[in-house]
Amino acid sequence: MLALCVGLAARAAAQAGSSVSADAVVVTVGMTISTLRDLNFGTVIKGVPSTILPTAVNAGEWQVSGSANAFVIISFTLPTQLTNIQALPGSTMPIAFSALAAIWRRSTNNPVGGTVFNPALGSVGRFGPPANPTMYVWIGGTVAPAVAAKPGIYQGNVIVSLVYQ
Amino acid sequence: MMRTLAIAVTLALGTASLAAQGVMVAPHAVFIDHRLRSGSVLLYNPGTEPVEVAISTIFGYPTTDSTGRIMLDTLRRDSTVSALGWIQAFPRRLTVGPRERQTVRLLARPPAGLPDGEYWLRLVIAAQAGRVPITGVADTTAIQVGLTLEVRTIIGVNYRKGPVSTGVTLSQVTAQIVGDSLITRSKLERRGNAAFIGMIRETLVDSTGAVHAQRVGDSVVTTFASPIGVYIAMQPRLASAIPQPGLPRGRYWLRYEVVAEREDLDPMVVLKAPAVRDSVRLVVP
Repeated sequence: MLALCVGLAARAAAQAGSSVSADAVVVTVGMTISTLRDLNFGTVIKGVPSTILPTAVNAGEWQVSGSANAFVIISFTLPTQLTNIQALPGSTMPIAFSALAAIWRRSTNNPVGGTVFNPALGSVGRFGPPANPTMYVWIGGTVAPAVAAKPGIYQGNVIVSLVYQ
Repeated sequence: MMRTLAIAVTLALGTASLAAQGVMVAPHAVFIDHRLRSGSVLLYNPGTEPVEVAISTIFGYPTTDSTGRIMLDTLRRDSTVSALGWIQAFPRRLTVGPRERQTVRLLARPPAGLPDGEYWLRLVIAAQAGRVPITGVADTTAIQVGLTLEVRTIIGVNYRKGPVSTGVTLSQVTAQIVGDSLITRSKLERRGNAAFIGMIRETLVDSTGAVHAQRVGDSVVTTFASPIGVYIAMQPRLASAIPQPGLPRGRYWLRYEVVAEREDLDPMVVLKAPAVRDSVRLVVP
């Protein structure tokens, strides 16, 4: 699946300004944002905060393909509370995102060495060169389950918005 | 009811990993001519799972905050250049199947007597696919935490009526070396009645005229280029890195130019405008 996305983007870039054929579907050059991995804290312990760094293997990750070397504005809509979908309404857990909780990096699918930024403020990212016009974005966070937190599955949404200039 | 929902969610969340899910949006900028009054955006799902897409419109345009950070200003909804009230997108919700394409159509119904000029809105394409990959939910005493990631692609829609022209003025160019980075600021103000869509180019030369490379991410370039859209005015802050071992002591010039060129857009939609240039001196002590 990932290979398909990258392959499609690479072909699109190679023919920038024209049309590109992909599986008999003709499309013009565009932008594709793919969610590669959700932000998964797994099992957490009551009363013990749990942090996932953006460089961790269970950090959330997106892959973005677009026009080579183009810049895009990256912004996030971040939750402050997660909801326990198995308990009665009102059972929540706080979640926070530090000033170092997000990373973007062009071309290379490895957060180490990428540009660290505050997800609450956003950043301006950049696609890779024509050979690999992709960009990756990672996000981590910290949850703080209360001592009296109810068991169950706590969920929330992180929305990433990418704006072409 | 709650238990049934929980079981259903548990089953849905049972997968240990999430395959890449997304939707391609093309083109990434839409230009509508008043004579046609319509446009379209193609959505393509390259994945193996259906993607649910919600379409909405907002008014906004790129600007900068006090630090020079480029951002989307969505506050001035009553702007006279807003097309939000009379351009609609159809459909508003759709599901794009695996390797399927679907078209979102934009239909303009401009008010009578609309003055010549350019009018703007932003198309928001929100896509969500996949589920939080939580495992081990058989343990009913455990606390499981996961967040679903949603993506929104926001592209510009520019509606042009009658003669449109653009241009940009450049002032207050500054440059400084901070650590291993070259930081620049400038003031850009649009002229004419349409957005200036173009590029900023920065070249660093020494006192002999030799060009010094800059590093942007993993790339080393002789001229740093950044696409720019000046809708009203902005003071962008740009940063590039000086490759190791850095600049030798001496005097340098930063050549700064703003041109109406874009490699990522059809030249037919990029309005012509004269380039503007300036140079500022830099001293590395």
